[in-house]
Amino acid sequence: MKISYNWLKEHIDPGISATDLAPHLLQLGFEVSSLERRGPAFSGVVTAQILEIGKHPNADRLSLCTVTDGSRKLSIVCGAKNIAVGQKVPLAVIGAKLPGGREITPAKIRGVESQGMICSASELGLPGENGGILVLSPETAVGADFSKAQSGGDDIMEVEITPNRPDCLSHLGLARELSALFRIPLKERPAPKVDASGDCWPVELEAKDACPRYLGRVLTGLQVGPSPGWLAAKLEAVGLRSINNVVDVTNFALMDIGQPMHAFDLDKLEGGKIIVRFARKEETIRALDEKEYKLTPEVLVIADAKSPQAIAGVMGGLASAVGAKTTKAFLESAHFAPPAIRKSSSLLRLRSDSSYRFERGTDLAAVSTASRRAAELILSVCGKQARSSGERDAGQSAPEKIVIHTTVSRLNAILGADFAKAEAAETLKRLSAACETKGDDIAFTAPSWRGDLASPWDLAEELARLFGYDNVPAKASAVAARPSRITPGQTLADKLRARLAGFGFHEAYNYDFVSDRLLERCGLKGDWARLANPISEDWTILRPSLLPGLLQNAAFNLNRGASSARLFELGKVYAKTEAGVEERTQLAGLVLGPAGEPFWRGPEPARGAIYEALGAASGLLEGVPGLSWTEGAGRDPFFGAVGWRQVASAKGALGAVGKIQRPVARAFDLEREDACLFFLDLDRLCEAAAAARRFSPYSQFPSVTRDLSVLLDAKTPYASVLAALPKPGELSRETALIDLFTGKGVPPGKKSLTLRFTFSRMDRTLRDDEIASAMEGILATLKNKLGAVLRS
Amino acid sequence: MAQVTRKSWEAAFAKLEASLKKLSPSKAKDLAALDRLRVALLGRSGTLTELLKSLKDLSIEERRELGPKAQELRAALEAAFDARKTALEAQADDDAAAENALDLTLPPHVPPRGRVHPLTSTLEEMTRILSLMGFSWAEGPLVESDDNNFTKLNIPEHHPARGMFDTFYLKDSPLLMRTHTSPVQIRTMESTRPPLRIISPGRVFRHEAVDATHSAVFHQVEGLYIDKGVSFADLKGTLDVFMQKLFGAKTRTRFRPSYFPFTEPSAEVDVSCLFCESKGCSICKNSGWIELLGAGVVHPNVLSAVGYDPEVWSGFAFGIGVERIAMLRLGVSDIRAFYENDLRFLKQFDENLV
Repeated sequence: MKISYNWLKEHIDPGISATDLAPHLLQLGFEVSSLERRGPAFSGVVTAQILEIGKHPNADRLSLCTVTDGSRKLSIVCGAKNIAVGQKVPLAVIGAKLPGGREITPAKIRGVESQGMICSASELGLPGENGGILVLSPETAVGADFSKAQSGGDDIMEVEITPNRPDCLSHLGLARELSALFRIPLKERPAPKVDASGDCWPVELEAKDACPRYLGRVLTGLQVGPSPGWLAAKLEAVGLRSINNVVDVTNFALMDIGQPMHAFDLDKLEGGKIIVRFARKEETIRALDEKEYKLTPEVLVIADAKSPQAIAGVMGGLASAVGAKTTKAFLESAHFAPPAIRKSSSLLRLRSDSSYRFERGTDLAAVSTASRRAAELILSVCGKQARSSGERDAGQSAPEKIVIHTTVSRLNAILGADFAKAEAAETLKRLSAACETKGDDIAFTAPSWRGDLASPWDLAEELARLFGYDNVPAKASAVAARPSRITPGQTLADKLRARLAGFGFHEAYNYDFVSDRLLERCGLKGDWARLANPISEDWTILRPSLLPGLLQNAAFNLNRGASSARLFELGKVYAKTEAGVEERTQLAGLVLGPAGEPFWRGPEPARGAIYEALGAASGLLEGVPGLSWTEGAGRDPFFGAVGWRQVASAKGALGAVGKIQRPVARAFDLEREDACLFFLDLDRLCEAAAAARRFSPYSQFPSVTRDLSVLLDAKTPYASVLAALPKPGELSRETALIDLFTGKGVPPGKKSLTLRFTFSRMDRTLRDDEIASAMEGILATLKNKLGAVLRS
Repeated sequence: MAQVTRKSWEAAFAKLEASLKKLSPSKAKDLAALDRLRVALLGRSGTLTELLKSLKDLSIEERRELGPKAQELRAALEAAFDARKTALEAQADDDAAAENALDLTLPPHVPPRGRVHPLTSTLEEMTRILSLMGFSWAEGPLVESDDNNFTKLNIPEHHPARGMFDTFYLKDSPLLMRTHTSPVQIRTMESTRPPLRIISPGRVFRHEAVDATHSAVFHQVEGLYIDKGVSFADLKGTLDVFMQKLFGAKTRTRFRPSYFPFTEPSAEVDVSCLFCESKGCSICKNSGWIELLGAGVVHPNVLSAVGYDPEVWSGFAFGIGVERIAMLRLGVSDIRAFYENDLRFLKQFDENLV
């Protein structure tokens, strides 16, 4: 909230500058987020001297003064009694701007033109009001800009108040904190004096839990109009707009002592009584913000005999607002239970300075003093005829006492500190006059405004705050008695990330929320888990897959000049279930464009996107037991009907790898390069326990390699070739595909495969004849089973 | 051939020695010249070979006297030839290498390499330190119940503190996207007997507009330590160590009062500015301090909510934003960059090797 340092100083004088105050507020837990030095709240006011005083021809109480602003003589009508010839005075000339938005224009007063206004302190928003004009010292130079000559001005601090401290949402509240910190007493103010006469309307308190206390008074003979300058200036300083003298007084009290109040135009109220009740079905109210609100029985209202006139604690109704024609008002000062106000404020999506305070908790004891303070002020600014009735105080007049019984040792134990008993006791007494201590024992009665203090932990914080958090020691914790653990899921995630980075993939982070449009582009349809309150249309659905995000990232990078992308993401995907939402951890990857940067020594990097994607997925799964790869079954939204493969472990489906089908490629503008995707269910993968790796022996004798080129039917899958190979017998044999070729020299409908076999034996060096017979066996089998022809 | 006499032999030997001053192996300018000289001196009919052969014509005494002299010269010459040959060969290799030298300033072939996301590496670094300090990893779902995310954390319905956590709610469901990783603390406490020391790193969600410094999706690392007699002072000590390990030994911390519903006392923790050594700069807004994390003593209501007796057990908790740390450490000024996945961004950040 905005705090005016001048205003604060009316409650306490810390004797330091606003800049120096900020660190102290920080120590108390209130961060000053900005500090602004502000000049006087007026302009166009010059210093002038009264040369002559004459009688106003048409009015006994007015004088007609001739003043000089140093360069010219001006004729000014003035009503003050303390004027005298020779006085130096502040003169608002034509065009001057005064607090409250008041602008000086040429005006005839009782038939005589006045060329400006001699100002009082209040009219300039300055302290030191004396009921007459502000008389400046005789040494004042005439003709100077008074706003510059004036040493006044103010420091406006934006102070951040945490939600647990509604008591500090006022100048008095912060002054109390500073008083406890600096050991400086608050400035005493005389108790408000209100000469009350007559009866107030009765108050019917129907909802005592939601409104424990409701105090009203009737104000009559009001002259509603602009506020005096000092009042307008004060409100403007803390960022409020001046409305009229009655409303301004309630706002002033809000900022001064923290009690929200509301004034109703009594003539607009019907039935001669005020009812505090919950709204009835179908009731509506047009609030001061000129919007119509539909009320529900959860909303607490202030009603007259007929209809709701205010949303209790949140905002008044427009119909009964105090305006220029108001002469009688009903002034409400009440204590509402925070949950009730929070409920209506959130139901109606309506917040105000009042609801902000009520929903955090106000001081029940302050209800009557605030009402008296406001009444006193209204009577002084709303004309001589203004009167107040007696009070009608319904409900509980005193707050429940909260006493915290604890010990200094307990507080020290919570903090790990060693504050001396006597000092601790003295410190707590600064917070509450009703704090009793005896040796170690503490009986702390929380002040009525400190609803946040209820337990020893709360008192421990108070103690630490006032001593300073810096004065609580820092202890080096004991060495961990037990070794720390990491979850299997996280271990797996870390390893997969490292492998993928090693494979050349970059990790992407996408948001968890996607749009209908994005999923449509991927051809995905389903009943997704959705947000009830999305920020935008782009974020409505909890992503069912990581793939759409990666496709979007690929398109984004291609649009920005990238020619290839290797991306992966590891995150949660969501599915809607009976019980709510099922979350699973997914790993997804995207391969697009050439692998790696072009190298000047050539060759061009390979563009084998699908084989690279398959390779990345199988490389990731290396070491997982019981894997089975199969042809993708059915039509996949990303991959289409063919051209993708699925992988499963003994525990079930793990994921798939494929090239995105053309409609998806078109939708993401990725047609230039094949984009291939893979995804794995990490929760499932985590269940598939890896087999322990054991050493497997290899031959100590030299191995022999032989290549074999055969022509095969072009449609024969490589898997069939591997399956067709004869058992290697006593030899050990490894097979690799080193060339696949169609075209020149290969008959149509055929393909040429070159296989490289590596033979070895564990017990001895191989003989030429056994290698030759192994190769013959291979060729014969391939001829028999697949109709292979040796390529010469 | 004339009769060899001692006199004639000595004259021939002296002549040979004199010629070596002009034409020694060490002066041969290339391997061919060296070989010619070797043949001329030590070949089958080389000058020295002939001299050695002719010794047989002298008397036994003369042979005994002159033989070793000649042998000595031969050994010296052989050594000199070998040395010169080695030197000339090395020179020839060097010359050939220089002739064929490659331009090694050409761009090398770097094996294609990917990177983990800077938020991953930042989170790893944070959790690595905390793991070494005895904190175990704990996880939980991102879609949570109101109970775990709020009520059990001492934020009942209609509590003003709910306003501190703008929340995404799920449609047709009472569930919500967790606003902090604290529900993991609740879940862990409910399933574990104290003492415990855990971290709950992960993704969290706040219903707020995304701009350069706010992200509706971000990451946190929260820590929780529950044992008998754990105090605010232990919290200070732990965070001091954590911050020094994360930002360097000179890092200081500043604790100041704040409010979180789940801790009491609560603190906002600042670290001394990493960029100006607290002298004041634009990053710390001339304050010398950078606001970094929230922490406090676990509120007794939270302990009661999970069935721990607050009169027996006590603890502390802290929470720190991963994006914030990454932005500070990497000099990233717009939080959205982490979620844009521009390869030019992702390629910049390596794991720290040292």
